[in-house]
Amino acid sequence: MKKAEKCITCGKGLLERGATTFQCPTCDEIIGRCGGCREQSVDYICPKCGFKGP
Amino acid sequence: MAEEKGKKERETDMLVPEETYMTSGVHIGTRQKTSDIKDFIYKVRNDGLYIIDVKKTDEGIRNAAKFLAKYDPPKVLAVSVRQYGQKPIKKLGEYTGMQILEGRFRPGILTNPNSKDFFEPEIILLTDPLADIQALHEAENIGIPVIALCDTNNETRYIDLVIPTNNKGRRALALIYWLLTKEILREQGKIKSDEEFTAKVEDFEAEI
Ligand SMILES: [Zn+2]
Ligand SMILES: [Zn+2]
Repeated sequence: MKKAEKCITCGKGLLERGATTFQCPTCDEIIGRCGGCREQSVDYICPKCGFKGP
Repeated sequence: MAEEKGKKERETDMLVPEETYMTSGVHIGTRQKTSDIKDFIYKVRNDGLYIIDVKKTDEGIRNAAKFLAKYDPPKVLAVSVRQYGQKPIKKLGEYTGMQILEGRFRPGILTNPNSKDFFEPEIILLTDPLADIQALHEAENIGIPVIALCDTNNETRYIDLVIPTNNKGRRALALIYWLLTKEILREQGKIKSDEEFTAKVEDFEAEI
């Protein structure tokens, strides 16, 4: 699976600790979340299918 | 045509009747509510217990199954420090080929290549982010996605997909993991119908 380059929510790069990349649970869009957004549990929305996580 | 109808019904119906979730206590939360979980709460009962919206539980199981089915089963790790989650994850592992770790999570399993049971999963499933905090920390360190069963008292930091549920009850955990196992097998194309999955919910229940 290819890696996302930016956080889907805030646009930050994903090189810092705590960031992750995955395929949208309900479609195949590649989603990146930065450590900050994950730490704060900020919602993310898939731009392709509209899935809202976490 | 019949197939199409079946598909449509599955999209609108729940995996099991709402009563089945209720009788297993899936909806029974705790007396605490975190702001992370508020969207998954249906109401607060007179005795102060927060009640989980089981429609969202159902949705969470389906989404988690789709999510997990994208990975090679041996690259998925399910963990449970909690005793009542241990039998259910063993069964999940047995039927799906996913890796499991029950009981204490020895520090370094995901982060220390010298540790004897070092393992590099691509995704992790937690039974309780509070009890499974060590696994959550290590997953955060190595940057893999995290799915977690979350009760009303849980926070969702570093969690990428929540299955909102009572994550403490023996029968609730059995039902959730039984459904999850069935849905994963369906997503993987290993079973075509409910009838092909012959395991019973009781098989997933921890002994008292
Ligand atoms: Zn971010
Ligand atoms: Zn999507």
